[in-house]
Amino acid sequence: MSKWQTLQTRSFLESTARQRAQGLVDEGSFTELVGPTERFISPHLPELGEAVEFDDGVVTGIGLLGKHPAIVISQEGRFIGGAVGEVGGAKMVGALKLAQSIYEKLQAENPAEVQARRPIVLISFETGGVRLHEANAGLLAHAEVMDQIQNLRHKVPVVSVVGSKIGCFGGMGFVAAATDVIVMSEFSRIGLTGPEVIEQEMGRAEFDASDRALVFRTTGGKHKYIMGDCNYLVPDSIAAFRQQAIAIAALPMDAIENLRRIGSRSAIERQMQLVAMAAEVSPTDAKDMWKAIGNENPQQLIDANYTDFMAQAKRLTPAA
Amino acid sequence: MALTQLKYEFSPATPRALPVPAVHFGVVGSGDMEVIIENKDLGGKAVATVVTPVTGFDHVWEMVLRRFMDECQLGNVAISINDNNATPVVVSLRLRQALLEIEG
Repeated sequence: MSKWQTLQTRSFLESTARQRAQGLVDEGSFTELVGPTERFISPHLPELGEAVEFDDGVVTGIGLLGKHPAIVISQEGRFIGGAVGEVGGAKMVGALKLAQSIYEKLQAENPAEVQARRPIVLISFETGGVRLHEANAGLLAHAEVMDQIQNLRHKVPVVSVVGSKIGCFGGMGFVAAATDVIVMSEFSRIGLTGPEVIEQEMGRAEFDASDRALVFRTTGGKHKYIMGDCNYLVPDSIAAFRQQAIAIAALPMDAIENLRRIGSRSAIERQMQLVAMAAEVSPTDAKDMWKAIGNENPQQLIDANYTDFMAQAKRLTPAA
Repeated sequence: MALTQLKYEFSPATPRALPVPAVHFGVVGSGDMEVIIENKDLGGKAVATVVTPVTGFDHVWEMVLRRFMDECQLGNVAISINDNNATPVVVSLRLRQALLEIEG
């Protein structure tokens, strides 16, 4: 087996950012951009006596998914919790700009081929958001990434790939929400304020961050899938995320637009209905919402393996 | 507050070249490190640079690196390490894993 084939069978959760990036695209097609040997390290961390990393915790590159150029951004959670600073953020922005320029070139030179060959952006999130050591630069990076995602709207699908151990929290939770499509595994999480921060601010009675079952049924993939906050739930392997990315790359842009959870009048109306529903149910636990959506036995879904869960779970679909 | 930068130089008895231009391995997690080993014309010598928040372990770094260099006999290479409190055992392991990336 080649290195790439071995990667396919690996757990996405347990892989490094670079392994994920290499494995998501076609075999041998990944080219890293601004890789570790270029040594673009954070200018802020050495001032604070904090360890640096040659890629600043973000892997960026380009590969192929069939005929589609795939621009990959992959965050590394083991380096300062995947927190986004100035350099890592700039790499994200640069990758998104590259997607835009590839699209514009294709559109100008070969408009008939746009559907068959348009680029796709895959962002593998593993982060708590802004890197506090370089707060202003980190915040600015978040805003610039959001700007670029808006520039790609209706042109290039931007896909959140969330299968990491840390998941996607803080400012990057907003960024993930702003993408067109969200793909998760049940072992990963999405949220704004992380569980520990909620407990610290509001007390343990409000949210017990040491209760892993509670954390995962509030922020985990299964909950996000039922609530329609994520579009696709896949098993925890690099191959499974890759297969989903291939399927998304083949969709027409209208279908991609329908997968969005926010950003249009109809999406806002759906969100408002959900708010009304939540007010009516006044849930004390995620399970209350699962039940209100039509899942008679929520505990059974929590315990179910991937196949059984997918067969049984009733959900609110993002697409109207 | 600044990071410590350590530099070492080695003269392998039977220097051999790295078969690829450069190899990178590892993640700067807590208690972990990353390394880049790359070809560089140094007249047969090898140099190692370590960047770490830890102070006072210069001698230990030298011993760990020397043992690795004695074993692999790489010449004309520059080794760059970013460290975040890795123990000597982890350092040895990561250096060997970096070589396995190309030779394994």
